[in-house]
Amino acid sequence: MVIDHDQVRHLSEVAVSVELETPEMTLNIGPQHPSTHGVLRLVATVDGERVFDVKPVIGYMHRGYEKLAEVRTYPQITALINRIDWVSGYANEIPFIVAAERLMEIEVPERAQYIRLILTEMARIASHLVFNASYPLELGAATPLFFALRERERVLDLIEGVTGGRFHPNFNRIGGVKPNAGGGPTQRKVSQDLPKGFFEETRAAMERVLSVCDELEDLVAGNEIILARTKGIGVLPVEVGAAYGVSGPNLRASGVPFDLRRIESYLPYDRFDFDVVTAQNGDCWDRWWVRLEEIRQAARIVIQAIDGIPSGPLQAKVPRVIKVPQGEVYVRAENPKGEMGYHLISEGGQGPYRLKIRSASYSNISILPHILEGVLVPDIIAIMGSLDFVLGDVDR
Amino acid sequence: MTTSPSDVTELDAFAATIAEAVGGEARVAHGTAKVIVSAETWTEALATARDTFGLGYFSWLSAVDWTSDVAVGDPPAEGTSERIEVLCAVGDLDGRLVIFSTDLDHDEPRLASLVPLYPGANWHEREAAEMFGIVFEGHPQLEHLYLPEGFVGHPLRKSFPLLSREVKPWPGTVDVEDMRTPDEPSTENPEA
Repeated sequence: MVIDHDQVRHLSEVAVSVELETPEMTLNIGPQHPSTHGVLRLVATVDGERVFDVKPVIGYMHRGYEKLAEVRTYPQITALINRIDWVSGYANEIPFIVAAERLMEIEVPERAQYIRLILTEMARIASHLVFNASYPLELGAATPLFFALRERERVLDLIEGVTGGRFHPNFNRIGGVKPNAGGGPTQRKVSQDLPKGFFEETRAAMERVLSVCDELEDLVAGNEIILARTKGIGVLPVEVGAAYGVSGPNLRASGVPFDLRRIESYLPYDRFDFDVVTAQNGDCWDRWWVRLEEIRQAARIVIQAIDGIPSGPLQAKVPRVIKVPQGEVYVRAENPKGEMGYHLISEGGQGPYRLKIRSASYSNISILPHILEGVLVPDIIAIMGSLDFVLGDVDR
Repeated sequence: MTTSPSDVTELDAFAATIAEAVGGEARVAHGTAKVIVSAETWTEALATARDTFGLGYFSWLSAVDWTSDVAVGDPPAEGTSERIEVLCAVGDLDGRLVIFSTDLDHDEPRLASLVPLYPGANWHEREAAEMFGIVFEGHPQLEHLYLPEGFVGHPLRKSFPLLSREVKPWPGTVDVEDMRTPDEPSTENPEA
């Protein structure tokens, strides 16, 4: 018998492909899974390695902040809301406090605005460093975690030195910021706002942050496995992202310079020289790269701010009992994760009548069903991680 | 800062143009532009905003329960008509943002879904549906988002009690009551 080798190869391929034909199955990921940054559950329908459909299930951490805010006074609410996105707790307070100040028509002293800006950018550095630690880890590279978290700890130390809290500073007051140690009538004239040696330590920390960015870039950008798993994966077109409300670095990685620091006037960003980082492809790699570059830009802003910080009071004159006049306002800010905003409706009381919290991660991960359709199972982790969300920011 | 929406007159003009195009009423205060439209023209108004004015960025959608039947918190000012107000903020990527608003019946709020226009409205409408009891007609999957299946009630309605406050009075109430008396502005540092 003469064997036609071409024919045999062909037949065996047919046999194999029949053997490997797989039925659709449901794959449950989470709610407790290391790659989900908290308690997110994904119900995926897969055929072999191909994902057909993903349904995110959220709400495991829903704490009902919007309802809780209705029964609290304005000064009490800041303690609540810096638990929304705890990776950048400080930045959560800013849009809320600015919203109340706009309704009360309070002009915040410049020094307080600069301190707010410095701490906000430090929170951005801390948040992006966490991303730079966790994202390569999810893709199998453990080393960047140690580099990133070491510097993040130093930045958190600085935040703690000023505010007293690493994650939950509760440092903003309506009309300004909390004086650091200035209590009691005898000490009032002594300006004890920033801890001793803050500027020198901050400058040194920023220089270390800049150098760790170079190290992280070397470690990650030279890693072929990471490149293979992120380049061209999870591409997000700008129009689709915008229609879902995706914002922040996730949208800028798709090529649009949508940065609320340049658009809104909640803090004096117009006095600083920094670049709005964008990338062109909108894939996982670009989202990683944009966040790395934003750390450098944030460090630039912090250094300029400590050079240019004016002296002066930390608090505007405010009534002893905070009552916000009737009105409504929406203030949004560029949080590390994207657009964070508060729609504040006051009926003239000591607490809001309604406080709608617009958090960035919520809209950012609502794109998951769209962006995960048709990808391979391992890409779920690569894409999800690249969106950089925090479940507290999703569930509120 | 050339296209800044904090430039008030520009924002005023922009809101007025949109309001005219969608047959609504513009209100600008504190740098926030609001356009009030009727519930019947809700989807048309948002479609005009998206297609004519390029407001393709979906920021958020939520609602407000205007009622004097409050279980916790303070009631609204006297003479507030009872209604559910739906708010939807859309913008463009140059930084303009407009909040559309419409009033619904308080007891049976129904509104056309925005999901065909903005897919991002999906979760926001599910949240507003469970929290306020609004029915979004044409929504592909109007299930609970945060709350467990079978949860009774709509927590962000003002009549919904806050259980922790029912079983134990808020300890902070004591401080708040005390602070109510002197209302004159203080020149001192309030923290001191």
